[in-house]
Amino acid sequence: MNVKPKHSANWWGTLVCVLFGGLLVLGVAYDAPIYQRPIAKITSVRNERPVKQQDEFENQDATVHQRINAVLINTIHKGQKITLSNTYSRSGAMDQPYRVGNQVFISKLTRGQQSNIKGPKRDTVVALLTWIVISLLFIFMRSAGFMALLSVGLNAVLFFLAINIDLSLKNGNVFVIFSLISVVFAALTLWLVLGWSRQMVITLTATLSGTALAIVISLLVFALTHERGMHYEGLQYVTTLPRPLFLAETLIGSLGAVMDESTDIVATLFELQAERPDVSRNQLFLSGRNVGRSIMGPLINVLFLIFVADTFPLTLLYLKNGNNWGYTYMMNMSMGVIQSLISGLGIVLAIPVVSFVASRLMKKRVMTDDNL
Amino acid sequence: MTTFSVLALLLFLAMWAVGGKQGAIAFVSLGVNFALLFLTIVLVQFHLPPLPVTLVAGTIILAVTIFFGNDDDNSTTTAFYASVIVMLLLLLFIVPVEHWAQVAGFGDEDSEDLEGMSLYIGISFLKVEICTVVLSTLGAIAEAAMAISSGLSEIETQQPTITGKRLFGDGLNVGKQIIGTTFNTLFFGFFGGFLSLFIWFVGLRYSIGEVFNDKVFVAELLMVLLSFIGVLITVPMTAAVASWRWHRRPHQSQKQPAVTKVDVDE
Repeated sequence: MNVKPKHSANWWGTLVCVLFGGLLVLGVAYDAPIYQRPIAKITSVRNERPVKQQDEFENQDATVHQRINAVLINTIHKGQKITLSNTYSRSGAMDQPYRVGNQVFISKLTRGQQSNIKGPKRDTVVALLTWIVISLLFIFMRSAGFMALLSVGLNAVLFFLAINIDLSLKNGNVFVIFSLISVVFAALTLWLVLGWSRQMVITLTATLSGTALAIVISLLVFALTHERGMHYEGLQYVTTLPRPLFLAETLIGSLGAVMDESTDIVATLFELQAERPDVSRNQLFLSGRNVGRSIMGPLINVLFLIFVADTFPLTLLYLKNGNNWGYTYMMNMSMGVIQSLISGLGIVLAIPVVSFVASRLMKKRVMTDDNL
Repeated sequence: MTTFSVLALLLFLAMWAVGGKQGAIAFVSLGVNFALLFLTIVLVQFHLPPLPVTLVAGTIILAVTIFFGNDDDNSTTTAFYASVIVMLLLLLFIVPVEHWAQVAGFGDEDSEDLEGMSLYIGISFLKVEICTVVLSTLGAIAEAAMAISSGLSEIETQQPTITGKRLFGDGLNVGKQIIGTTFNTLFFGFFGGFLSLFIWFVGLRYSIGEVFNDKVFVAELLMVLLSFIGVLITVPMTAAVASWRWHRRPHQSQKQPAVTKVDVDE
């Protein structure tokens, strides 16, 4: 931690940033004029009687038709009053009720025809939550929060660039491209967290080799088992070859967790060596393993819950449509589970790798420390 | 043998080899958590109220994640209390945000997956979405709570004269050290899963305005942001629980001011 000048000055800075951010969020709430698609604000809603619905699986539901009056708030037709209609169901899988005050995107206005609601304007809620995250970061974490924000922001930009590169290469393999990008991701993130130091190089080496090892082992397992029981048709939003896409997703998904773990282990080992310079290579290796084994369980669970909880709505829909547990699992959850297993392997294998690399590299040239 | 069984076996062996008994138990926690997730979905399918079911399942998932494979009683208890409180606090956030954002259920991009299915299933997808977000943040909350509480437990052992207030400040300091890497774990964890969705957006040339109002994208982004908020609340909450529990415990020299210098910045 660096030395802070005056705490009060710091707090004023934070307060100003937080308030300024709040104004920006307010701006997003009224940013309709910058959209080219027409947006209307709902002024009144009249609900008709609910209509009972029953499907072939005997699910009971009800739909409600809404007659909506709205006023356009952007484009050259601003101020024009229009009528819209909407039907929503009680379950609301692909529809939703609208209320007075909602801003909605509508289809282009054509004379004599009613326009349709395309969907609600959702950018304000995104802005609000982003603002809350950033404010909390500054309030609790100060400069560390700023670094965290910077690395997430830069990674998001890189992520976007990588997708563009992938799409511009007509015959590019998405897995190869994202493997290369992963190296950049890891280097950039660790550089921001640790600075350009010996510790960073060791952490980076360990992260990359641990992840690579897990992927290589998984590919061997794929080949040996002929990918039996893998259902690529269960993947969502697939527009390219599913297999490399699945591997790229798994690689990216586990990268952050492996970096997290390697950073913790290497940091502890460096501290240990600073306290006891005579510590042996073997002791370093064993300490690394000790730190690793208490982190690995929770870390694998982090990824597992992210990968599998996300399939909740679709899984429920499958079950409600009369599919049995086996088929439902296969189509929705099986790929997420395999992804968790591969990531888990990466997280576990990184522990001996990082402990080994750190114990060898740290002890090799103790004289030329710090700077590489 | 299927790919799944070989990978599961390898993961078990690796966890056992690296972590011994502790590792093997951590592997079991994965299986138990999966069973709990599936059970939650099945109970919701039978029209049990989604939120209470999720809160009960969530509490058990937190307990399993924290207590399985960790044997330090002091730090696990602190982490468990803190993470349950954070789950409840986060819920107060998630409910209004999901109502407002209207991102429950499925978007236009899901049409292909939904072909031939009946959507009128009589269970509110809004409630299901709230449950999904709660469940997907639990791992991150448990992990952050464990990191802080085990750090503090170490400090408690080394400095038995520390005051509760100092302990709270130390908790925030430990939080500063883990926040960068924790955010990256979440960022990559979530964005890895949505790679295909992003390729779809870029490939079909969605404009920025379209992306930030798209139902599927906003749903996923809110999940990431709410997990960030969950982790951010976890840091002071774990520090507070640790310092509260430290305060209540009888010790030898509570009144004595701590001699060690700790850099707390307030």
